Amino acid sequence: MALVEIEHVWKTYRDHVDVHALQDVSMELNRGEFAAVVGPSGSGKTTLLNMVGALDRPDRGAIRIGELELTATPSDQLADFRLQHLGFIFQSFNLFPVLTVIENLEFVPALQRVSKKDRREKAHDLLRAVGMADLAGKRPSELSGGQQQRAAVLRAILTEPDLVLADEPTANLDSTNAGRLLDMMEQLNRDKGITFLFSTHDPQVMERARKLVRLKDGKVA
Amino acid sequence: MLFLAMAWRNVWRHRRRSLLTVATIALGLAFNIFMRGIGDGFHEQMVDNSVQAHIGHLQVHRDGYHDDPGINKTIPELERVETAISGLTGVRGYSVRVLGDGLASTAANSAGVGIAGVDPGRERSVTTIHRAVVAGSYLGPEDSQSILIGERLAKLLQVELGENLVLLVQAADGSMGGEKYRITGIFRSGSPDLDRGVVYLLRQDAESLFALAGRATEAAVLLNSSQDVDRVHAELERSLAGTGVEVLPWYVVEPYIQQFIDLDDAFFYVIVLILFIVISVGILNTILMSIFERVREFGVMMSLGMKPRQVVRLVVMEAALLGLVGALVGAALGSAITLYYASVGMDFASWAEGAAALGMTTTVAYPKLTAANLVVSNISVLFVVMLVALYPAVHAARLRPVEAIRHV
Repeated sequence: MALVEIEHVWKTYRDHVDVHALQDVSMELNRGEFAAVVGPSGSGKTTLLNMVGALDRPDRGAIRIGELELTATPSDQLADFRLQHLGFIFQSFNLFPVLTVIENLEFVPALQRVSKKDRREKAHDLLRAVGMADLAGKRPSELSGGQQQRAAVLRAILTEPDLVLADEPTANLDSTNAGRLLDMMEQLNRDKGITFLFSTHDPQVMERARKLVRLKDGKVA
Repeated sequence: MLFLAMAWRNVWRHRRRSLLTVATIALGLAFNIFMRGIGDGFHEQMVDNSVQAHIGHLQVHRDGYHDDPGINKTIPELERVETAISGLTGVRGYSVRVLGDGLASTAANSAGVGIAGVDPGRERSVTTIHRAVVAGSYLGPEDSQSILIGERLAKLLQVELGENLVLLVQAADGSMGGEKYRITGIFRSGSPDLDRGVVYLLRQDAESLFALAGRATEAAVLLNSSQDVDRVHAELERSLAGTGVEVLPWYVVEPYIQQFIDLDDAFFYVIVLILFIVISVGILNTILMSIFERVREFGVMMSLGMKPRQVVRLVVMEAALLGLVGALVGAALGSAITLYYASVGMDFASWAEGAAALGMTTTVAYPKLTAANLVVSNISVLFVVMLVALYPAVHAARLRPVEAIRHV
């Protein structure tokens, strides 16, 4: 059974004019995949990721992750679902500036009420594993863009979620740093079996993705 | 702990703005503590002055005397009353008095006066009138046919120390009583009522004047502490039940003092309310700005699974920390100012006339710092800060993560 099932999803943003962000989109994503939604700007990539990430709801259609039908789930439960099952990586890193790297990593397990000792130990282990232990006590403002985004990836995967959603994760990085970031995510995908779904128009990401879903004008091309 | 650390650091992200807010809270709280201290000190002095000038903390009379006094309404079972008062803990002293009205006359003038027949030794343990003597001396136990009068009365009657004064009264048996007394002391208590309208003589002289052998109309009791009034009042009422006496606390004897205190408190609360509204606007502005600057962060937090109620908690925690720092600084500042003036006093000489009308016999007020003042002021400020924070907190919690994470 697929981890993510998207069935005939429609989404229209109504402003001065109606913008059909998604039109009858259907796709599946299996557990352990390293997949990317690709397409030009405005093609609906981010909208689709927001739907899968339970941050937005479709006008029509259904989205299922594991056993949960997202479109029929109340908002408060969706927050809990995101906390327990999803990880997020944003284009502009979005680490919390007042927390150190290790504290940023601890944010999600702290919400999950994991004890301080356990979450700190886990965060340290992970930082060590990717060679970032020396950055543990630094604030995001003291890191380079690449370091920040790698820390953001670690924050997303520390609790080993079922699915990590990464919205243009390499957009603000140079190609070297983008490469290093992708290396790390591939390793985590391989070693921990974490499923990744990207939205991107970065050729590097497209090359490495093992599954590509192409969107154009809100439709699967 | 992580969220507490986060809240604390968020507070100090904009150091200058937070310091200004802390200063607003601290100054508001310090002002509140100081003003409350002045009020508490002033009220206590007013009560003490009135209580120690004449009325005592408690008074015992025959039932109904307070509402309709009369020379015939003497205390039944006086010895039992005295024994009961002596047996109570917390009693500093008591004075058995013969109180009546009469006409004081001299060759030059006459005036209606209250006549207090007292045992000088006992009266000394209850009132401060012996300390208010400005000419001559206080009554002694052997000073029969001597009289102590107020400075204002002396002026009115145009008499001086050593001269004579005649008291005319209606005695308990209905006859007219009249006696001549020599003025052996003149007092200035600061209370216009006492200085103009009360004369003191020995109790046995008053008994003779009013034809009240061995009887008395009032027992005034002074306690070690004003805080004990209600307790001792209840105990004394219990022990004198069935004797036909009334036991009255000072605030029933002189209700205008309590009424003034209540009115003064009401004014104070209005000022505090206005002050808190001003502080609230400042705090609201700070927290709202802090929320608007962090819309994207709240979006990320909620995307990662933080629930709206946890967002509310975080924002309120930040406000509480801001309030706590302000409260600590304000409490220290307010306490220091209050304690300083509590030791040196505040001179209100220019208000002396008005203060005297309220029973104040001194023109120097001493603010008082009480634990209740500190606790109530601090809790009020923290409560207001957290209450004010609720609006921005709810605003933050209602952000849609999908929109908030795109906020620029």
